[in-house]
Amino acid sequence: MKWGNGQEHIRPTEMLKSLNRFRSKRESYLFWYMFLLPTILGIALFMLYPMIESFRLSMTRGGNEKFVGLDNYSRVLTSETFYHAVYNTLYITVFQLLIALPLGFIIACLINSLSKGKNFFKVLFYLPNVTSMVAAATVFLAVLHPEGLLNFALSKLGFPATIWLAHPTTAKWGVILLSVWNWLGFVIIINLANLQSISSDYYEAASVDGATRFQQWWKITIPNMTGSLGILFIVGWIGGLQRFSDAYMLGGLQGSPARSLHTIVGFIFERGFGGHEYGLASAASYVLFAFILFITFLNTKLSKMKI
Amino acid sequence: MFNFILKRKTVDYAVTLFLLALGIMIIYPFLWMLSVSFERLANVELPFPPRLIPENFSWFNYKLVFENGMLIKAYLNSLTVAVFNVLLSVGAALLAGYAFSRGSFPGKKILFFVVLATMMIPFETRLIPMFTMFNSAGMINSKAPLIFPSILNALGILLAKQYFDRLPEGLRESAKVDGAREFTIFIRIFVPLTGPITATLAILAFQDSWNSFLWPLVVINDQALKTVPLFLSSFSGEDGQRLLGLTMATATMSILPILLVFLFFQKYIIRSVALSGLKGE
Repeated sequence: MKWGNGQEHIRPTEMLKSLNRFRSKRESYLFWYMFLLPTILGIALFMLYPMIESFRLSMTRGGNEKFVGLDNYSRVLTSETFYHAVYNTLYITVFQLLIALPLGFIIACLINSLSKGKNFFKVLFYLPNVTSMVAAATVFLAVLHPEGLLNFALSKLGFPATIWLAHPTTAKWGVILLSVWNWLGFVIIINLANLQSISSDYYEAASVDGATRFQQWWKITIPNMTGSLGILFIVGWIGGLQRFSDAYMLGGLQGSPARSLHTIVGFIFERGFGGHEYGLASAASYVLFAFILFITFLNTKLSKMKI
Repeated sequence: MFNFILKRKTVDYAVTLFLLALGIMIIYPFLWMLSVSFERLANVELPFPPRLIPENFSWFNYKLVFENGMLIKAYLNSLTVAVFNVLLSVGAALLAGYAFSRGSFPGKKILFFVVLATMMIPFETRLIPMFTMFNSAGMINSKAPLIFPSILNALGILLAKQYFDRLPEGLRESAKVDGAREFTIFIRIFVPLTGPITATLAILAFQDSWNSFLWPLVVINDQALKTVPLFLSSFSGEDGQRLLGLTMATATMSILPILLVFLFFQKYIIRSVALSGLKGE
């Protein structure tokens, strides 16, 4: 169709045709919107409304929802309990990533170097990730028991027994161990998938040139892996900031002992559903959101990925 | 370097042995859980030193778990919720993914951007309004809040769109020439081709549903409606460090079925997890 270029005379039949086309086009638009209806409904009900309502709630206090402006935010940001929760969350996540990422990467490289049994090891290492965190944590409660597996193994190595869940630092390390144990399989799977996508041409060319396997690993594997390690780093951070189940299972509602296992989400949960302080909890949840946005922003900067 | 001295095969053996040792360490807690669950006296005192073969082997703990019956009920609850979650989230994701891949309509780009943007919004920020919403609808302590929100599946839409993008455009054109309507084209031509992506989406949705904990913890407190993680957490929360025999038997029973499913479908599951992970959360 050429419209309004002034050179062609539009005849009535053509006009009718284009009108029909216009009408059927509108029908087909409607048709596509029908396909999207469930998703649009989901966004409206479970995304848009809760985000707006949460923001509104974050400016109110009490059952009568009295408007208090930004007061909840300043209360959250000056609350020692909240800072403690942020500290715990960061502490556990930093060490979880510091241990699980390199360890998972190295194990993935070792598995990938095998000529036989790759699949067997993939399954073996992935097992702790199959179960829910709650089930894994239940097993870990016994592992961390004063007479449990961990203390027994440590005593064999000559270390003194520790009552893991009785002291703030060792309790945090209990959660770190649990989260590494649970997450390691995922790190290995992602790394393996990426390792296997590196073209074998590179390695063949390098070994023709006489490069050793270690040199190949250093010069070919590592540079090709930065992408997936970056993604794991970000996914790990975001998941870590949202951590709840592992710390809650070992430390309960208050993150015992001495609130050492109280996480940011634990704070939101406790204030929201333990104390019915919806306003304060909503403000804290927006602070968490800001944290996560910041990490995602860093991610896009680092990987130059388009969202 | 070493490679010149050692033959490739020797390195292979050494690596295999090392991985095997590490792997046993990783699954050792599970093996020990199994052993404690069969220990007759584990509820009185944790058998020390830890051993793999129980000293007083007995089915006692399992008998108690089954006689109690709550775990079986929790299993049925988890299964029901998971099945509905899979149906709803996979169905919605396939429909939307198809529209974003093949459709042309105003606002397509913006809508797709909105869908992707929802992936960055943490569930915790919506937690309290989600609760109050379902609460005022009188749906707390029902399966509804565990099921309905899965209708929005942004990662699934992204994966489905990418899958449809890779199918040849000719499929749709030739059917259109034959005068087929869009919905017929989708059902007759595209849906039968979606096997692999449907399997992936179903696996991911099932895992999400099965492992979900925070949201069920908020909306369910009726014993009879508890899902497996909820039941396990309330059980081990009360008795986790005391009745270890019972706790480990309950944990074993809650892990075993999902473990069997995993071993059966491990190839698909690992592939799906890798796919979802590489796309970023």
